[in-house]
Amino acid sequence: MGIHDVKGTSDAALVARVLAGETDAYAGLVARYRDRLGRYAVRMLGNEADAEDALQEAFVRGYRSLARCTDPDKFGAWLFAILINRCRTIGKQRARRQQLVVQDEAAVAKASVKHPEERSALRETIEWAVEQLSPTIREAFLLKHVEELSYDEMTTITGAKTSALKMRVARARQELQRLLEEAERAGRE
Amino acid sequence: MPEESDRLEQAIRVLKEPAQIDSGLDRRVMAEIESVPLPGAWPHRFWMTLDWLKRGRPVRVSPLGGLAFTVGIAILVLFGREWMTPQEPGAPLATTAQGSVVQFVIVAPAASGVSLVGDFNDWSSAATPMRRVGGNGVWEVTVPLDAGRYRYAFLVDGSTWLRDPSAPPTLDDEFGRPGSVVTIGEL
Amino acid sequence: MRTPTGQLALTFALATSLSAVAGPALGQDPRLEGRVPEPTRVEIEAVLDSALALELPTEPLVDRALEGASKGAAPDLILTAVRRLAAELLAARDAMGPKSSVPEIVAGASALRAGAEPEDLAYLRALRGNQTLTVATAVLADLVAVGVPVDTAVSAVIALAEATEDVEYLAFRRNVERDIALGASPVTALGVRLDAAAEFADRPLPQRPQRPRKP
Repeated sequence: MGIHDVKGTSDAALVARVLAGETDAYAGLVARYRDRLGRYAVRMLGNEADAEDALQEAFVRGYRSLARCTDPDKFGAWLFAILINRCRTIGKQRARRQQLVVQDEAAVAKASVKHPEERSALRETIEWAVEQLSPTIREAFLLKHVEELSYDEMTTITGAKTSALKMRVARARQELQRLLEEAERAGRE
Repeated sequence: MPEESDRLEQAIRVLKEPAQIDSGLDRRVMAEIESVPLPGAWPHRFWMTLDWLKRGRPVRVSPLGGLAFTVGIAILVLFGREWMTPQEPGAPLATTAQGSVVQFVIVAPAASGVSLVGDFNDWSSAATPMRRVGGNGVWEVTVPLDAGRYRYAFLVDGSTWLRDPSAPPTLDDEFGRPGSVVTIGEL
Repeated sequence: MRTPTGQLALTFALATSLSAVAGPALGQDPRLEGRVPEPTRVEIEAVLDSALALELPTEPLVDRALEGASKGAAPDLILTAVRRLAAELLAARDAMGPKSSVPEIVAGASALRAGAEPEDLAYLRALRGNQTLTVATAVLADLVAVGVPVDTAVSAVIALAEATEDVEYLAFRRNVERDIALGASPVTALGVRLDAAAEFADRPLPQRPQRPRKP
């Protein structure tokens, strides 16, 4: 597929090749950003199936709108913004899914566990705690502390003012601390 | 409390661990892209002029945006008459059972004649002449419109096309001339 | 079941060449006479023919041709524009459903031109129940036209879709445009207004179209 001839090639150069008609070169960008973007999607949506949906949609939309990427050196950031929007749309749908009849019981089980007493591993506790945050503050927390974006970058991508973002991040930190404490106490009892 | 922030820092460390997304995703993405080819979907200019790679970051300017607001304020200040309140297309003056009545306004002080040309009058340059109001180059006309989305522009002195600064522009000027859009929703 | 607009444009091009061989076009429109050179007029009418056969509105296609003529565009440019629009009208109608009104289809086509996906239109249709989509999709296209990245515009319109009247959509768009005119970046302007406007309805959302998953 040509992965060999994309290693070491800059994003901008790959973008140029795709726009010139070499569709396969896009696979190089997908491979390059899959895990990086995947981490955010998994943390934001809480399960891999939805994360993969979001990733797939983001990559396809990225391809379709590639001509509108005005700064191909910043392709990653541009694509990330697309992914964030996809996660918002999918996340909103998923929050209601539990009210509908779902056929895949394993997915339901994975998606619907709420109580820390059912989890013993630290990782699962942390994932649970992040899941409890409302989407808006979860997003801000992940962007700031996990993806390590600056507030300027976050404003550019999300459109929210820095003051609003800071408030969301602060609330997220408070909430998470409370939840983690609660989980620890529950684990001890 | 140090204990609390340790807990949080630990959580952040765990969350930062990289995800491992199945590389089957790559195949699905490429399959989806390839199943829907877009011949000629990208504007030709992007294919031909890849020198944007070498240029600095392009600057997005909205030259008429600021002007629109200024013009709007100027009209309010100068005239203050009821009908001169900048009515933006899409905010009809009146809504009737047949449709809506929309006022179009443009400031063109140097013009001798301005006409409104668009989807609603078969792009005829003669069908909807605008009338000059006051002495400051303000032209207006009101038009009844049914529900729909209409592309239009102002034609000044039969030769210069102007878009309406107070309305959204057309997405691409397919024919090399500026244009605007007004949308009337169903009642 | 998404139909690529590129392939559709080809379909309309084919239809043109077939009709020209088969006989006089049914999609004649007297307004085109004299405004568009003869060979191009015949080809445009073949597109109108195909559109009629597919039960697509032809008025927007005639309007587009007249616009091109009025602006002195080259005939082949006019023909390309008409074909492209025909493809978008078809894709919009397919996505939004056969009972879509003409204003909805035209606005939906604009949204596709702006870069929205057919599945976005289908989702909007599901979200808005028996409210029309004309203004929602028009606002989507308009936001892109003033500089909001298409993906962000889609998110915003979808986020507002459940609980927003048409007039609120228009007010939303106007506020965003004004903020941009005052110097805000398009995404920031959108974000500020969206924060103020977005409501989360307490109702189950319809199922989104699923992508093919790994087995």
